Amino acid sequence: MRTAFKDVTLELAATDERLVLLFGDISVYLFREFTARYPERFFNAGICENTLVSMAAGMASQGLFPIVHTIAPFVTERSYEQIKDDVCYNGFGINIVTCGASFDYAWDGATHHCYTDLEILRLLPGMEVMQPGSKKEFCALLRSQYANGLPSYYRISHDEHGEDLPVSFGRGVVVRDAGAAVTVLTAGPILGNVLKAVAGLEANVVYFHTLKPLDTEVLRRFAHTKLLVVHDAFGLFEAVAAEVPGVRLWRHALPDQFNVYYGKLDDIRRAIGLDPEGIRAAVRRVQAEP
Amino acid sequence: MDADCKAIREHILRISQRSGHGHIPTSFSVVEALVAVYGVMRHDPRRPQWEERDLFVLSKGHASLGFYCVLAHLGYFPIEAVNAFGAFGSSFGCHPDRKKVPGVEVSTGSLGHGIAVAAGMALALKLKRSARRVFTLIGDGEANEGTVWEALSAAAHLKLSGLTVLYDDNGSQIRCQPIPNAAERLRAFGCVVHEVDGHDVGQIRAALAPVAGGVAPVAVVCKAIKGFGCRTFRSDMFAWHRRSPNPAELAQLLEELNENSI
Repeated sequence: MRTAFKDVTLELAATDERLVLLFGDISVYLFREFTARYPERFFNAGICENTLVSMAAGMASQGLFPIVHTIAPFVTERSYEQIKDDVCYNGFGINIVTCGASFDYAWDGATHHCYTDLEILRLLPGMEVMQPGSKKEFCALLRSQYANGLPSYYRISHDEHGEDLPVSFGRGVVVRDAGAAVTVLTAGPILGNVLKAVAGLEANVVYFHTLKPLDTEVLRRFAHTKLLVVHDAFGLFEAVAAEVPGVRLWRHALPDQFNVYYGKLDDIRRAIGLDPEGIRAAVRRVQAEP
Repeated sequence: MDADCKAIREHILRISQRSGHGHIPTSFSVVEALVAVYGVMRHDPRRPQWEERDLFVLSKGHASLGFYCVLAHLGYFPIEAVNAFGAFGSSFGCHPDRKKVPGVEVSTGSLGHGIAVAAGMALALKLKRSARRVFTLIGDGEANEGTVWEALSAAAHLKLSGLTVLYDDNGSQIRCQPIPNAAERLRAFGCVVHEVDGHDVGQIRAALAPVAGGVAPVAVVCKAIKGFGCRTFRSDMFAWHRRSPNPAELAQLLEELNENSI
């Protein structure tokens, strides 16, 4: 997905000189074509996430469309106040594109895990929050949102869900409507595991690449069913609970602990029950609920 | 004391007394710096959104009352508008909001943000090959924040000569983590540094004069007195950090201001 990020910014920069990149000393080699073509519009400011965000806000105040890019925990959890004050409160629209969220850096331990980003940013007024699950979704969302003057967060992942789904900002996607009594709600690349999990089971699947604004219309269509949120981050469950109160809602997501097992993404997902088998068991449990 | 600066201080005192809000000593320490910076900036109070204006960011947002009184003095709005300072529904909060107050470029309050935002503005203007300048005023207490130095480092690295940082060196942090060598530190971080009397408008203005061919951000260390203008504040600046006078105290403070006791 990071290569797609490079490709789409090259494409957008060719026709929009207001697009500028501020990087926290990551992906710099990958973007060498961008730096060669647009040296004045690429700033590798170093490892200083708070300054990256505030400077991007200052640049946005002068009519530019900055994209800040670095590793998820450092620019969301560390720089939350800069995003709240300098970006959202001031109304200086910037784009933040992160990598390495959830357990993409499984082997690096808890300092490099990040599963709060979607939830904490969702709480900020005016913020758009996206978790694309494929290159196609990321490119479409960045193209449609980067220049709208609003603060926008895009979490890109190593993993992809492998599905070719329609993409429209703020719209959920009904991936599977089986007329079932249980609907699995999910977001981002974990959709791949969800679809493996529900093979042969009676379950609907609704997918979100946009967590804020959440598509409440599609949720209401399935509100009469038992809703099970399956997600390898915080944010979707909380958004559903807030946006469509009074539904029968279950959660199969992260335990209240640091998940430091090292290994790879799939190892951690397996350890905490977010592999296809663990998700399948969760769906069966909800099916058995009255 | 400059007559304009004295008039501005009188408004600060009266509005604080009336509203029960305001950080008076910190507002008093920056009056000359604000008057000086607006004296060199290209700006037009009748057109706050004029596209060719220079930009000012009050990083130490708790000096908002002083800032509002200076903006009113310049003609951005009538001083009477500030009477509702801090009141429900007022545009004039105890920290400035850019969406509510003409002349305010950035909403501030949390310390340590201003330099980085101002550096972003200066970088954007540099990209546009614009000669517009960006000024920000920070406090010495604020300089305990790591982001101040992080942002300065980035600004120096990016050679943002269009950025000028005014450093209000009013000794407010003597009870916590003082920075006794601000000028030396600012220089070490890559700024061109001037040291001036923070209550001498002429000296500050001279230090803010544009420099042709600059390749570094400029820092102006304004050696100031917290509460400059009234001896009561000077005798106990911590007691008065965020306190408004009662009517009797107001009368006493106005007397002190007019006798030029400090």
